[in-house]
Amino acid sequence: MQRALERKGIPTVSLTVALDVTEHIKPPRSMFLPFMMGHHFGVPYHKELQREIILEALDHLVEAKESGEVKFPPFTWAKARKEGIAIKRSLGLK
Amino acid sequence: MTETSKPNQLRLEVWNTVNERYPGSMISKEDFVPLSFLTKPLSESKLSFVSTSGVQPVGTMPFDTVHPIGDYTYREVPSNLKPHELEIHQLKYPTVGANQDINVIFPIERLQELAQEGVIGGLTDNFYSFIGYNMDPDKLEQKLAEDIADAVVKSGADIALLCPA
Repeated sequence: MQRALERKGIPTVSLTVALDVTEHIKPPRSMFLPFMMGHHFGVPYHKELQREIILEALDHLVEAKESGEVKFPPFTWAKARKEGIAIKRSLGLK
Repeated sequence: MTETSKPNQLRLEVWNTVNERYPGSMISKEDFVPLSFLTKPLSESKLSFVSTSGVQPVGTMPFDTVHPIGDYTYREVPSNLKPHELEIHQLKYPTVGANQDINVIFPIERLQELAQEGVIGGLTDNFYSFIGYNMDPDKLEQKLAEDIADAVVKSGADIALLCPA
């Protein structure tokens, strides 16, 4: 998909949580997040984190020079979860 | 270039598992496609979002999540919708977070905000969604991927964010 878009002239960036799969499919630009499957943009209600992840990905779209570059931003799942739990508490959610 | 950083990998050896369980079902490439580059600043670029999350507008034909070889159709998701107007038809990834806040897999509200603030130039009228459970990689690559890529081009996108769920 990403390769098809890139061939048609649209610069792309993808997010991955499975580095081994990424190695096999060789996408043009991708960013690895050490997160749980299905949670590429972080945790529920954590708007800041969701936004930062998109911005990091867009930065990679602008900055990457060579096809196949994978970016490793400094997010961690433990920190995301911890902050997510605190946000949920502050919103009065379980 | 692709750099393997095994210490960061949470699910070691999953590739072997998938390949052993579903032989020939995964795409493997030996080469890289040449990059396309931005022709204007991000703040003037229209973004499209493509996702394998199985997110679709409420009331559209649900994805066939139990078909043995998968569903090779896609849904257009108007980019101005609100989370309560979306639902997920997909069995192959944990939706525990998305069920509380769909932005964890389909960040439609965050993208709307970035467009409103002018960080990106705008959003295409539609985003594109399909399901990742597709057991025929040739059909996926030759039909579905090309269909969506054509739709994205036609939508006037300058850049695309992709998220394989």
